[in-house]
Amino acid sequence: MELFDALCTRRSIRKYQDRAVPRLAVERLLGAAMMAPSAGDARPWHFVVVEGLDQVSSIAQALPHAEMAKSAPLAILICADPSLEKFPGCWMLDCSAAAQNMLLAAHGLGLGAVWVAVWPFEDFMKGARRHFALPEGIEPLALIVAGYPAESVPSEDRFDPSRLHFEKW
Amino acid sequence: MKSMDIFEALMTRRSIRQFTSDPVSEAAILKVLEAAMMAPSAGNAQPWHFVLVTDRGLLDKIAEIHPYAGMSRDAAAGILICGDLRCERYPGNWPADCSAATQNILLALHGLGLGGVWTGIWPGEELMQNFRELLGLPDEAMPLAFVPFGWPASVPPTPARYQPDRVHLNGW
Repeated sequence: MELFDALCTRRSIRKYQDRAVPRLAVERLLGAAMMAPSAGDARPWHFVVVEGLDQVSSIAQALPHAEMAKSAPLAILICADPSLEKFPGCWMLDCSAAAQNMLLAAHGLGLGAVWVAVWPFEDFMKGARRHFALPEGIEPLALIVAGYPAESVPSEDRFDPSRLHFEKW
Repeated sequence: MKSMDIFEALMTRRSIRQFTSDPVSEAAILKVLEAAMMAPSAGNAQPWHFVLVTDRGLLDKIAEIHPYAGMSRDAAAGILICGDLRCERYPGNWPADCSAATQNILLALHGLGLGGVWTGIWPGEELMQNFRELLGLPDEAMPLAFVPFGWPASVPPTPARYQPDRVHLNGW
């Protein structure tokens, strides 16, 4: 898929076919995520991959807003290890760039995916820490839920000139 | 305009800090800003604003107020990415939303043959204040990052960044 098609037609997909995502595709998602920029190139990220309907659907118990996980074949929790940072306090930005790369890669592979926010919501972070048994100090940023799409969401034009300022606000 | 495969874009994008003096067309800049606004955001709130800076004096000034944005002196232009606290549906999420928009900007630049670099502002209080004053931001605007860009003077090779030890399959 061409880059601008990917950027402009990617939508959040929350309904998935009952079909596993091949390991090779999972690796391409992770590979794209790890090419994200990070402050001082610290790459403070970790990824917890969950495969299979049963395993993925259990996530919805810990993260009630991840309802779509109940019928998804794949989920990836994007986390950070802040002790790897060179410029403390940037991990949520680094991991967000990685998340966006992952969503675009999923779209490029014909998968559908959605970013379920975990950071900065204390309850969700607590739920994710417990469910995924994250080691002390590891911070969860987002859960990416993905699969082959069972819905098609048309692209929407989000360009809003009122959000653009020239030279000064 | 150039076109590039999404995976080529994802896998070969690098931070570009050296630029030629060639100008960048308005059409290219518009495409980059369109891509920015296509990012996902919590509740689709799109809590972002963008300040496009092309004025040489302002770009030079930015190089002075931001210790890691010295390359703005040679950049054709730059984009300040801001959160707007008034637009949020899930308060606190704007840095993630605006980071996704910033990443779209970097990928779009790369796809057009341009290059840019993410210079971080938030959560640095002093840097945020510097940008607020220089560019006249309202109090609700949260400057997240400044991306100076232009035509790359040199393109760094693509490193392998895959780290298998960062992947935890079916449990940490």
